[in-house]
Amino acid sequence: MELMLKGFGEVVKTVTLRVRRYDPEKKELPKYMEYKVPVQRGMTVLDGILYIKEHIDPSLAARYSCRMGICGSCAMIINNRERLACQTQILDLGKDLIKVDPMGNYDLVKDLVPDLTKLFRNHESIKPYIIRQEEKVTGEFLQLPEERELYSMFTECIMCGACLSACPTMATDELYLGPQALAQSFRYIADSRDIGFNERLNLLDSKHGVWRCHFAGACSDVCPKGIDPALAIQLLKGMLAKNVFVKYQQKPAKIGPDRKSILETAQS
Amino acid sequence: MKESKIMLIQYITGIFILVLGALHFLAISALAPTSDKVLYQYANNSTSTHTLTGGTLYYTTVTTIYHTLFWGSIFELLLTFLVFHIFNGFRIILSEQFPGDRSEKAITYIMLVAGLIIFIWGSKTVVTMLLGGGL
Ligand code: SF4
Ligand code: FES
Repeated sequence: MELMLKGFGEVVKTVTLRVRRYDPEKKELPKYMEYKVPVQRGMTVLDGILYIKEHIDPSLAARYSCRMGICGSCAMIINNRERLACQTQILDLGKDLIKVDPMGNYDLVKDLVPDLTKLFRNHESIKPYIIRQEEKVTGEFLQLPEERELYSMFTECIMCGACLSACPTMATDELYLGPQALAQSFRYIADSRDIGFNERLNLLDSKHGVWRCHFAGACSDVCPKGIDPALAIQLLKGMLAKNVFVKYQQKPAKIGPDRKSILETAQS
Repeated sequence: MKESKIMLIQYITGIFILVLGALHFLAISALAPTSDKVLYQYANNSTSTHTLTGGTLYYTTVTTIYHTLFWGSIFELLLTFLVFHIFNGFRIILSEQFPGDRSEKAITYIMLVAGLIIFIWGSKTVVTMLLGGGL
C-alpha cells in the first residue's frame, strides 16, 4: 500500500469514500458504493477518487484536469456541499465517511460527471465579451483601475458550475439563466469598455432572467472562488429597475493610441 | 409588459400591503367606535353603571367602519394590491415549475381570470358594506 502511494508521505488513516454511481446506459437506478482509501497528509478528495480508479475500480468516472483549482472541472458535492474535489483535503473534512455526489441540477454523463451543456449554453447566451460599435479597433480601450474594480471579482469565475448546482431556482426552472451567466452579464455590463446593456436586456429582463433569483444566496455560499453571484444579480435588478424610469446609459471607454504608433514614437 | 415593470409593481404592492394591512388591522381591532367596558363590567357585575354600548368586540360596531368612504377606499385599495401581488406571485411560482412558452401563457391567462374573479367578488363585499349592507 505504501509503495503505491509513494510521494504522498505516511498513511495517516483510512477513510471510506461513499460515491454515487450511475450509468445512464445501464438503465439501473443510481446507487452508492463504498471504497476504503488510505489517506496521507495533503491528499485531496480528487486524489482519493483517482486512488479508487487506479487501485479499486477503474470504471468510476470523474472529470478533472488542472488539479489546482483553476480549470473548474472537478466540482462535485462532497459531504453535501458543492466543492472542488482538487481543493478539498480529506483530512480537513474531519470525517471518516466522505459522501461524494455529482453536482445537482444537471443531467448526468456518468457517475460524478455532470453534463454542463446548460452552464455553457447560458453563459454563451449573455454574450460574454465586450460589445462595441467600432468596426475596426485600432488601439486598446482605456480603463481606470477604479473602473476595473467595479467588476473585478466576477472575472475570477472558472465556470465550475457549482453555483448552478446549489441554486434552488435552478432546481425548478430549467430555463433560468442561472447565477453564473447572470454574474457574467453583470461583469460585462459593469465594464466601462462595454456598451452591450441593451443587447443583453431582453434576456436579462425575461421571465427566466434576473427576476427569478429569490436571493437564497446559495450560489455565493458555495463558489470556490469567493465570487458573489447573488450580489451581481441584485445589482442587475437595480439596474433594470432604474432602467424602467431612466434609460441606462453606457459611455464607451476611450480608445488609446495603437501599439504600432507608440512603438514608432518611442523609436523616433 | 416587461418583467422589470411587473416586478416593480410586485415590490411596490408588497410595501403597500404591509401599510394598508396594518391599517386594516388597526381599523377592526382598535378604531371601531367604542365605549367598551367589558372588563369593567365583569369586575363590577351587573351593578355597573356603565353599559356595553359596542366596540371592537361587536360585529355591528366593527362594520360601521366599513360604511365610511375613506375606509371603503382603503379596503378596496388593499384588495387591489393583494390580488395583484398574490396572483402574480402564483404566476411566478407556477412558471418556474412549468417553464415553456405555452405553459407560461396558459398560466398567465388563468391567473388573470382567477385574479379578476377574486377582485370582483371582494369588491362586491366592500361596496355592499359601503352602501350600508352587511354580510
Ligand atoms: S460563479 Fe463561482 S461557483 Fe459559479 S461557475 Fe463561477 S467559479 Fe463556479
Ligand atoms: S481539477 Fe481543475 S479545478 Fe479541480
